[in-house]
Parts: sequence; C-alpha cells; structure tokens
Amino acid sequence: MNRPRGSLAAGLALGGLILALGLVAPFLYPADPYALHPAQALQAPSLAFPLGTDELGRDNLALVLAGGLATLVVALPAAALAFAAGLAYGLLAGLAPPWADKILMRLLDVVLALPSLIVLLFFAALVPLNNTSLILLLGLISWPGLARLVRNETRAQRGRDFIFAAEQAGAGRLYLARAHLLRVIAPVLVVNGTFMVGDAIFALSALSFLGLGVQPPQVSWGSLLETALNIIALDPWWLILPPGLLVFGSLLAASLTGQGLLRRWGEAR
Amino acid sequence: MISMILRRAASSSLSVFVLVTLVFFMAHLTPGGPAYSILGQKATLASVAQVNARLGLDQPLLKQYGIWWWHLAHGQLGYSYLLNRPVGALLWSYERNTLVFYSAAITLSTALAILLGLAQGVWFGRWPARLIGAFQLGFYAAPPFFVAAMLVLWFAVQLGWLPASGITDLRSAHPGLGAYAAHLVLPVTTVTLLTVSPLSRYFGEAVHEELGKDYVRTARAKGVGFLRILFAHVLRNALRPLVTMLGLSFPYIFTGGVIVESVFNYPGLGWLMWRSALAQDYPVLIAIVLIIGLLTVIGNLLADLVNGLLDPRASYE
Repeated sequence: MNRPRGSLAAGLALGGLILALGLVAPFLYPADPYALHPAQALQAPSLAFPLGTDELGRDNLALVLAGGLATLVVALPAAALAFAAGLAYGLLAGLAPPWADKILMRLLDVVLALPSLIVLLFFAALVPLNNTSLILLLGLISWPGLARLVRNETRAQRGRDFIFAAEQAGAGRLYLARAHLLRVIAPVLVVNGTFMVGDAIFALSALSFLGLGVQPPQVSWGSLLETALNIIALDPWWLILPPGLLVFGSLLAASLTGQGLLRRWGEAR
Repeated sequence: MISMILRRAASSSLSVFVLVTLVFFMAHLTPGGPAYSILGQKATLASVAQVNARLGLDQPLLKQYGIWWWHLAHGQLGYSYLLNRPVGALLWSYERNTLVFYSAAITLSTALAILLGLAQGVWFGRWPARLIGAFQLGFYAAPPFFVAAMLVLWFAVQLGWLPASGITDLRSAHPGLGAYAAHLVLPVTTVTLLTVSPLSRYFGEAVHEELGKDYVRTARAKGVGFLRILFAHVLRNALRPLVTMLGLSFPYIFTGGVIVESVFNYPGLGWLMWRSALAQDYPVLIAIVLIIGLLTVIGNLLADLVNGLLDPRASYE
C-alpha cells in the first residue's frame, strides 16, 4: 500500500503518547476524578478545568485520565492473554496430525461464528464484572483470529526443507516449535500482536459503551462516551472529543505500527 | 463448481447447527431468566414459577431444545416472551428497518469504493492516491461510536439540520417518508464512512496490480483507449476482492450493527438482538442467531458464485 513513509515512527510516537497519558499521567495530575463540584456542572474548558466538567461537575481531564488507566489495565493484559491462547492453539493445530488439525479447525470455525456479544452476555451474567473477569472475557473472545493465522503459517512452513530435515533428524514437535517455527513466524506474530492491542482497546471501549465493560463508579473511555451521548442535546463537545479521540488514537497507533512493521519486514525479506 | 458449492453448503450447515445449539444452551443456562424481565427484579418465587410454567421453561432443557426444532420444522419460531408477539412477525418489522438502512449504506459505500479505488489505482503513488490513502487509514481506525457521536454533534445538535435518533418525527401526526429519509441520513453516513475504507483499500490495490499487467500494455500498444481498458478489462478483474468482501459483509445488511443502531436508537435487528439478549428473550435471540448464521453461509456462497462468474479459474482452486 502507498502509505506515507515513516508511518512506523508515527505509530510508535502516537502509541507511546497514549500509553504515557493512560498509565503515567493519572498519577501526575492531582485532581480527584470522582470529586463533585455541583455548582460548576457541565462547564466548557477553562483554566480551573482544562477539559471542562461533566453533568455532575467532575473534572473531565481527571476523568479522561482515570478512564484511560481503567481501559489500558484491562485491554493490555486481555490482548496478552488472547495472544498467548491464539499462539498455543495455532501451534497445536499446525503441528498436530491432519485428522486432529481438521477437528481443531472445525471447532475454531464455530468459535469464530459465535456472536461475541452473546458469549459476553452469557459470561457477564455468570460472573460479576471486574477487571479480572473482563480480562478473561476479552481474552476469551479475541484469540481465534490469531490461532487460525498461526496454524496456517505453521502448516505452510512445515512443507519447507529445513523443517523436513529437522523432522528426519528426529526433532520433537516442541523442539520444532521452539527452535524453528517461532523464529520464522516471529514477524507475523509481532505485527498481529500489535493489531490485537488495538482490537482489545476497541472491544473494551465498545463493551463499556454498551454498559457491559468497566463498571461504575469506575469510568473508562467507552463509558465516558456513553454518558456524554446521553446528554448530547446540550452540545457537550468537550466531553465527547477527548475520550473519542483517545480511542481513535489508540486504534490508529496500533494500525500504523503494525502496518509499518509489516512494510519494513516485507521489504527486508 | 456445483459439487464444490454443495460440499461447502453441507459443511456450513453443520456449523450453523452447532452454533444454534450452543447459543440455545448458553442462553438457557444463563442465570436469571426471562421471568424476571417480565415481572421485574423483585418478583416472588411463586409468580416466577408460574410464568416459567406458562412459557414451558420448567420442562427439561433437552425437551425444550427438541420442541424448538419441532416448531422450526413446522415453520414456527415461537413467541417473544417480553413482547408477546410471534417471533417471525416481530423480526420482520425490525428487519425491514435494517434492510433499508444497510442496503442504502452498502450501495453507497460500494459505489464510493469503486470510484476511490479506481482513482487510487490510476494515480498510484501521487498525491490524489495519498490523500485517499490517508482517508482510508483514518476511517479504518475510527471507532463507530465516535464517528456516530461526532456526526450527531455537528449535524443534529450544533447545526440542527438533521434528526439525531429514532425513525419518525413524534411531533407530527403523519411523519411520512420524508421524515424517515431524514432520520436515515446520519446512520447511513456513519456506516458508509466506516465501510468504504476497507472496501476501497483492497480494490485500489487490485486496480494498481492489474494496471501493471501485460494485457494492459498490449491493449494500449494496439491503441485501445485508457478509459476503455480501465472499465472493460481492469474493473472486471479487480472486482474479485471487492466481491469477496461484500459477500462477507452480506450478513450485516440484515443484522445491522448493534453499536450504530443503539447510538441512533434505530429500531433494527442489531438493536433487537441486543435488547433481547439483555432481557433473556430466548426465542427472539435464537431466531436472530439462526438468521445470522444462515446469512453468513449464504454470503460466503454468493461471493464464491459471483467470483466464479467473474473468473472461471477461481472455481477450480
């Protein structure tokens, strides 16, 4: 694709900025996100409140920073979990004998076809929603894509001579995976891992937007957008832009970084 | 070709069967239950038991599952617990809205994607293509709730040009088609903006690739006009990835998007699915899942068929 040059640098810079805003800034900005100032409810940005206040008179900048922290502490581990699960399942299917591979892939088709919304509702009714259960839930629904990719890559690599040679020399499946396959498919893994971070942030924000994500009184980017949308007739642009732009920025950063890596490694190959 | 389609259809029907079964048991095993949605959270155990007996929910789960298929075989999808209406009629009244909404959006975004993709392929590497690339990159990453919120903020709240939600004007006695069309503008724009990016990206790439091939050079060398090459040859060959992507998006024409429909309070199938899932209105929920599953299968098969017509070699792969 004819992406502008330097997209990798732009992606990394944007990603770094968002991580800093979400993980470091909440501890630097002194205002309490949950302190109410009813007399100053729903005010546009000013010197006292750099991003204005919400309908309860809470400092919006503090809310956005706290929401970023809440979003990232769930989304990042969830992405890591989905990554590990997808990698393990993909390697298992890729290295398994053909009949087992067929069964595993059929299963994967069904999991991929399950409406994730219903899976989430099902588990959300079984377990109380908190950070741990949200990480598990998001991890649970986001691994199949990577699993299929890893399986296909593994199958494709297995036909190559060096793998055949290693097999003939008596290499076990675990050794093959560790010593050869992981190294060959590492670029694919890194690129898709980057995309998965963006996907997890999006999924959590969408869930929170629908009321099933991070639970009140805790706020997240998605839930901030949802509450702002409820009073959109009052034109609260300062409540919509910051969380919206931050989710957008996270997705853009993941997309730019992943595509940038893909291009760099694609050219090197 | 026919045998391939039959084989694919058989294996996909199996997937749909497994999917419906899984969702049936997952829905019924979820704690709570529709009785609480009907009676309220403070319902007494006796009244809950009464409702469960009336709905047949006190029967063994396997028997309920059997009854569901038995009814389906007779063309019945059951009754909505919450709204007390036949599921078929209920689905259709929401389906109509989604159908209008998404066929408008997909038609617009396909037309736009073809225009953008052709421009991108023809001017590859130069500023028009870069501009289109930036647009695609931006909207590829844009979250739907943000795009929808910004459109509402600008065009409904600040400028006051368009209605923000629903499908009719409650203030007038006979809203008519004009009001419906006005209510459709923002949701359709949102979905068009969000879907045109992936569609045009792959199409633009394909156009660029096709333009570099030998048959284009040959055609130019023998004096065929550039526009004729573009529309008579390149377009046809480059359409394949676009058709595949459209086939994959086919289910969305019928199910809609939960998020977009809920932002705009648009009474479509996605919104209905979300609400029935929350209220544990199983008959509605499972019927929608069945429809999604079937449409996914049909969409994939249609894409294969059309691609087979566009390029007969594809069917032997």
